[in-house]
Amino acid sequence: MSNTQASTAHETAVDLEKRAYREGMKAGAPTMPGIFAWGMVTGMAMVKSGLTIWQALGMSFLVFAGSAQLASLPLMAADAPVWVVFLTALVVNLRFVIFAAAIAPHFAHLPWYKRMWHGYFNADITMALFPRRFPDSTVHKTEGKVGFFNGICYSNWWAWQGGSVIGILLASQIPESWGIGFAGTLALLAITIPLTVNSAALVGVVVASVVAIAAASLPYRLGLLLAVIVGMTAAMAVDTYLDKKEKA
Amino acid sequence: MSALETWLTIILLTVATILTRSSFFLLGHAVKLPPKVQHALRYAPAAALAAIVAPDLALVDGALQLSWTNPKLLAGVGAAAFFLTTRHLLGTIIVGMALYSLLRVML
Repeated sequence: MSNTQASTAHETAVDLEKRAYREGMKAGAPTMPGIFAWGMVTGMAMVKSGLTIWQALGMSFLVFAGSAQLASLPLMAADAPVWVVFLTALVVNLRFVIFAAAIAPHFAHLPWYKRMWHGYFNADITMALFPRRFPDSTVHKTEGKVGFFNGICYSNWWAWQGGSVIGILLASQIPESWGIGFAGTLALLAITIPLTVNSAALVGVVVASVVAIAAASLPYRLGLLLAVIVGMTAAMAVDTYLDKKEKA
Repeated sequence: MSALETWLTIILLTVATILTRSSFFLLGHAVKLPPKVQHALRYAPAAALAAIVAPDLALVDGALQLSWTNPKLLAGVGAAAFFLTTRHLLGTIIVGMALYSLLRVML
């Protein structure tokens, strides 16, 4: 008797996660063509910037971070030191730290290796969709969260990797004259805009742009890191100024 | 870059992904982010991405070209305007590439 009850309860929990998984897939579906295209652009950019097909596939399946990949490619092509490429990717990825801080409390009940696994998949699209379905007030409930999260993340992974592999394989068929590498710049541009959340961020973006252009000829592509540091400092200065003005 | 350096870079970029994405999934409630740090963590990637995009739009063979004859700059401005009004990633890439191709033929 109690056995039957336990197994029914188990089945209901499994059903619930499955339903949540489908719900997550549905929530993410409208974004998937964009993710697929972004993956394809990144796949092409990797091969066009000189990676072999195996290196490009390795980068896509291991790194799994479009903006960091696109940011690294010109540096790698220009023979920048490995540490400069690493630092640049790390800075571009810093936004994921906020995403992790926002989403992770919902998974605090899981063992560390599962949390690490979910963290690896926690990209821009989950940050846009998960908190809408599970606001902060639901942090102590667990039902449906893993299902919903995986539904978004795994469709995102498939769309991204599918696009990327096709891009890698197509790249050699596309003539250099199409300038397809520029599509990578356009994708980065579209990622930058939502990150420009207030006037402080805007000042940071403008200052970093000007410094990057002025310092483009510095050796080892150090102009990029210089631009980030100066842009960051400018943004934080405006941030502090606005804070003070608000308090006064 | 040599093949070895390229693979080393790919491994390090994987580390960069895991360090940032899994950070708070592993730390849990042990550390709380003050608002100031949260702001900085958003400003930094925006500045870094802008520092990658801007030179590609504004420099032609290493020389500054802020004029109507620079197809990348015009296509970039058009794509940004499109994204600001629609928030559509795929559309932005298509519109930007179409503008870029068209302008290169026309200018």
